Amino acid sequence: MRTMWVCLAVAALAGAQEPASVFQNVCAKCHPPEAVVTPRSRTEWQETINKMVDMGAKVSAEERTILLDYLTATYAPGAAGGPGGRGGRGGRGGGGGPTLNGAPLDRHVVDPDAANRGRTVWVAQCIECHGTTARGTDKGKNLIQSDMVLRDRYGSTLVPFLAKGHPMQSGRPSASLSKTEVADLSHFIHERVYDTLRGSSIFQPQNLLTGNAKAGEAWFNGAGKCSTCHSATGDLKGIGGRFDPPTLQGRFLFPRGGGRGGRGGGKQLTLTITPANGAAVTGVPVVFDDFDVSVRDEKGEVHAFTRSAQLKVVRNDPFAMHDQLLDVYTDKNMHDMLAYLVTLK
Amino acid sequence: MKRIAIVPVLALAAALVAQPPTTSWPTYHGDNTGRRFSPLTGINDKNISGLATAWTFRAGAGGSLKSTPLMVDGILYLTAPDHVWAIDARNGKEIWHKAFETKGGWHIGNRGVGISGNWLFFLTPDCQIISLNLKDGSERWRKQNCDLDQFYYGSMAPMIVKNKVIAGVSGDDLDRPGYLTAYDPETGDQKWRWSVVPLKKGDAGSETWPNEEAMRHGGGMTWQMPTYDPDLNLIYITTGNPQPVIAHANRKGDNLFTGCIVALNADTGKMVWYFQASAHDTHDWDSTQVPVLIDGQIDGRPRKLLAMAARNGYYFLLDRTNGKNIVTAPYTKPNWAKGIRPSGTPEPDPAKHPQVDGALVTPNQGGATNWPPPTFSPADRAVLRGSVAGVQRVLHFRSGSRQPAGLGRHRSRRRESEFVGGGDRLQDRQDPLVP
Repeated sequence: MRTMWVCLAVAALAGAQEPASVFQNVCAKCHPPEAVVTPRSRTEWQETINKMVDMGAKVSAEERTILLDYLTATYAPGAAGGPGGRGGRGGRGGGGGPTLNGAPLDRHVVDPDAANRGRTVWVAQCIECHGTTARGTDKGKNLIQSDMVLRDRYGSTLVPFLAKGHPMQSGRPSASLSKTEVADLSHFIHERVYDTLRGSSIFQPQNLLTGNAKAGEAWFNGAGKCSTCHSATGDLKGIGGRFDPPTLQGRFLFPRGGGRGGRGGGKQLTLTITPANGAAVTGVPVVFDDFDVSVRDEKGEVHAFTRSAQLKVVRNDPFAMHDQLLDVYTDKNMHDMLAYLVTLK
Repeated sequence: MKRIAIVPVLALAAALVAQPPTTSWPTYHGDNTGRRFSPLTGINDKNISGLATAWTFRAGAGGSLKSTPLMVDGILYLTAPDHVWAIDARNGKEIWHKAFETKGGWHIGNRGVGISGNWLFFLTPDCQIISLNLKDGSERWRKQNCDLDQFYYGSMAPMIVKNKVIAGVSGDDLDRPGYLTAYDPETGDQKWRWSVVPLKKGDAGSETWPNEEAMRHGGGMTWQMPTYDPDLNLIYITTGNPQPVIAHANRKGDNLFTGCIVALNADTGKMVWYFQASAHDTHDWDSTQVPVLIDGQIDGRPRKLLAMAARNGYYFLLDRTNGKNIVTAPYTKPNWAKGIRPSGTPEPDPAKHPQVDGALVTPNQGGATNWPPPTFSPADRAVLRGSVAGVQRVLHFRSGSRQPAGLGRHRSRRRESEFVGGGDRLQDRQDPLVP
C-alpha cells in the first residue's frame, strides 16, 4: 500500500475567514498547496485535522469547519481511484499524545488551555468526590468510565446534566456554572479519558533501580560471562551516564537496534551461504524465507539462491550471546546488572 | 515446570465433522471446524516452487489487507476496514466494490465477510453490522453492533450458523466488557447476546471478580470467529484478555470468562461449558486463537476434541462435549506459570505479573502465536501453526494510580524495553493428541 503522509499544520488564525485565505494563512506556512498531494475523503480530512489539533495546533471550531469544507472540495479523491490514500489511518499518531485509534471521528478534541481552566473548576468543585484523575473515590463515580462523559462533546451532555443540579464541593449550585466553565470541565475530563489510552505519557517507567550493584558486577564478570566481550573500563565506560535506566535495561537485554532482524544497529546479522558446487558467500540477508535466500555482500552485490537440502545457510548473529542470556537471567540478575551498569559513569 | 501426567494412548480416526470444501471457501475458516485444511493436492511440495503470478488485483484503498478472502461460485470476496470487493477469481477483475463512509473506530484490520445464500455480512470499524447483496454489493440492512463512543470497533469476520449471523466486538482501550451477538440474517434483529463477563453479582463467574464495577469493565473481547459442531449444536468462542490488563490490582481473581474457550448453545447463546486458558491474565494475551475441532480416538474410544494453541505459549486439547481438559502442554518456553491446576489451566506466577522494576516474561506481548490461524491435517495427524519462539520482553508496571484503567502501556520511543530479542518465527507441527 502506497503511503503518502502529508502533515497539515493548522496554526492559530487571525484575520480573514475566506476559505482559501484560511488555508493560505494556517496551513501553507508549512505545507504549500502543491505539497498537499494526497486526496482524502471528507472523513479522512476530518481525521487529519483532528490529528493536527491533537498534536497541539490551535484552531477554532469555525475555522475547522471552513478548512474541512475547503480541503474536501479542493483535495477530494479522484473519480477513478476511489477513496484516496489511507496510509495514515491506524498508524501511530504523531507527537507525544496518546494513540486515539479507537476514537470516533467526531470525538471531543481537547484544547489544552481550556483543559487547564477546567482543572481549576475541577479542583474547586469536583475533586473531593471524583478524585485527581477523575477515576472516582469512595464518594463519587469513576468519570472516565461514564457513558455520559464518553458521549459528551464540549459540554453537550454535561451542560444539561449539571443544569438539573448535582452536588458540588463548594456548595455552589451546579446550575450556576456557566457554559464556558462546563465546556472547560469537559476538556479537562476528556483529557483524563485520553490519558488512559495506549501511548499516554502518564504511563512512564518508575523506579527500576532495585538491584544490588555488587551482585551485578559479580554476575557481569562471572556467571553472565559479559566480560568475555565487554569491559567496564573499555566499551562500557561511562554507559551509566549516557542512558537513563529504562533505556539501559532495554539495551543490555535486547541490543538489536530497530527491533527484529537487527536493522539500524552497527552490527548486523549476516548469512553465510554455501552451495553444493560453489564458493561460500557471506552478506546481509535480503530475502530469507522457506523458499528463497539472498544476501547483499560487502561490495553491494546480491547473491540469490533457491533453498534446498543441498544449500547450507549459516546465521552469523552478533547478538547470539545476548539472546542466549535471555533464557539464563533471573529477574534478580537483571535488576542487579542494571544497578551495576548505572554505576559506570 | 510440572507437566501433566496423563499420556493417553491415542489413535486418530478418519471420521470428520464435515468434509472440507473443495470448490469454494465459503467461510473465514473454510468450514465450521477451523481446520483450514484443503484435501486438494494439485498444489504440493513438489510444484509449489513453480507457481507464477496469474493476476494481481490492486485494491487501491483501505490500508492493509488482513482478511481471508471467501470464494463462492468463482467469485472472491475480499475486505479491508470500510471496504468490500467482489473479484472474479479467474482473472482478478473487480465485479463490485463497496466503500463505507466511516464515523471512526480503529482501522487496524478486517478479517473478512460471512456469506449466507445471496447475502453477505460485514463489520465496520465504526460498529456497524451490514448486510449486502452478494450480486452487486447493494445494502439490505445495517445495525449497530457496538458503541463507538466506548471505543469499541468491528474487525471480526461474521459467522453464519443455523440461520443466525454471529458477530463479536473489538476494542480494549477503555475497559469495556466483551460480548457476542446473534442477528437474524433477513432483518438484522437481535436473536441473542452473550456477555463474556458477568454483569452483576450472582451471575456465573461473578465469584471470580472482586465487585460489579470490576466485572462490568472487565474486557474479554471477541475478536475471533468461532467454530461450530452441528451435532452438539455448540458454538466455540474464544475470549480476549481481562481489563485493565497490565494494571490488574483491582480485579483480583480468575476474571471469568476472559481468556477462555467457551461453548455456547447455538439457539440460545447460553453457556454450556468453559475452559480457561489464561486465568487472571496480566500480559495482554487475548486467548482468541482458533479453537480447532478434531475427531480422534483416545484409549480406543472415539472422542470429539477441540485443540487450541494459545497466545500464552500453551497448547490445550479438550473434550468438546464437556470442556474437560485432556492435554495442557507448553509449545514454546512460557515462564509465567508456576504449575498446572488439576483443571488443566496454568497457574499464574505472581512474580511474572508486571513489576515496577520489570519482570522478564516470555512469550512477549505479541504472544507465542496470535490471530493468524493454524491448520490441522488429518492425514498427517498434525496441527501446523505459525509460532514465535524465544521471545521475551520486560514488563514494567507503569501506572502509579490506585484506580488503574486502560491498557497502561506507554508507547516507548525505544522499542527494546518491550520488544523481542532473537525471536524466530517458526512453522511448527504437533501431534494434536499428545503433549
